[in-house]
Amino acid sequence: MQKQEDLDFIARFKSGDKSVFEELVQRYQDRIYNLCRHMLGSASDAEDAAQDTFIKAYQNLKKFRPEASFYTWLYRIAVNTCLDYKKKPFFESLFKSSTEGEEYISEPVSDQPSPEKLFKSKQLGFALSKSLGKLSLKLRTVIILKEIEGLSYEEISEVLDVSVGTVKSRISRARDELRILLKDFTEQK
Amino acid sequence: MKCSKAHKLISLYIDGELPEQDMKIFEDHMNICHKCRAEFEGSRELHKLFIKADEFKAPYGFHTKVMANISSGKAVRFSGIPVFLRFAEAAAIIVVIVFGILSGSTVLKGYPTDKTRDVMASLSLDVFDSAPPDSLAGAYLAMMEVRNEK
Repeated sequence: MQKQEDLDFIARFKSGDKSVFEELVQRYQDRIYNLCRHMLGSASDAEDAAQDTFIKAYQNLKKFRPEASFYTWLYRIAVNTCLDYKKKPFFESLFKSSTEGEEYISEPVSDQPSPEKLFKSKQLGFALSKSLGKLSLKLRTVIILKEIEGLSYEEISEVLDVSVGTVKSRISRARDELRILLKDFTEQK
Repeated sequence: MKCSKAHKLISLYIDGELPEQDMKIFEDHMNICHKCRAEFEGSRELHKLFIKADEFKAPYGFHTKVMANISSGKAVRFSGIPVFLRFAEAAAIIVVIVFGILSGSTVLKGYPTDKTRDVMASLSLDVFDSAPPDSLAGAYLAMMEVRNEK
């Protein structure tokens, strides 16, 4: 249903109604921002990357082929934009402090009644974001698409343009590495 | 089932992608192998942790900002920058440093060692040492001596 609505919007866009793009932005802004935030860690980088994702999508929407789903196409742009941000120029990396993994914990989880539980939950969330930051970009991307964004193996293979077998093995490796990293983190505490 | 095979199937089981025919044999292995069971439990806990992970929403006014950037024709950051240009700035810094070192050593080579020492001595402002004859302090003292004699 969503896919058909997206295609209708895109058809209207291609026939000259550019204002319809705002509907697409509103529909996907939270998912794209969430992906960028988990990929990059910093709120400001995530906002810039998400903005750039939609601008690139606007500039290339005419080339979009309806055989693919719009959101996997959009995810592919977002992932590549985040990877570009990770490879930011030398000068920028010198003068910009890294906030990777430090801004994940924001609001307290409302269904945690006791402060101890809340503290433990926050600690684990912090450990998870720190451990994610230590994964290689390939493994980080694939595990975020699977666990955070909830994409299927086929959708991830479409986004990353790799085989389903590669997706499976990367997810398995990412989980192995994360388990070890989390264990190290909790043992240090 | 071998442990290496079971290890490969853990992720598929957690994601609900394990084929029906492998399910029973996988679960049987988990019941008898403590090592594989521990790995499986660890991955399942990790999966639960991700479910509780923060979900971030786009900041207020995000879509308005996107549309404003599009209508103002904002260029996308980094787009179209070839990889070699990213390395160009690092290369430029290295060239400047190397050029500085080379030119500095060329200037120093131009002075004979004794002359360099004379120049340093003539600029000496150490008032506790006797003033060398060619220094500014030496010239000043000589002038004062002549004046006192008059």
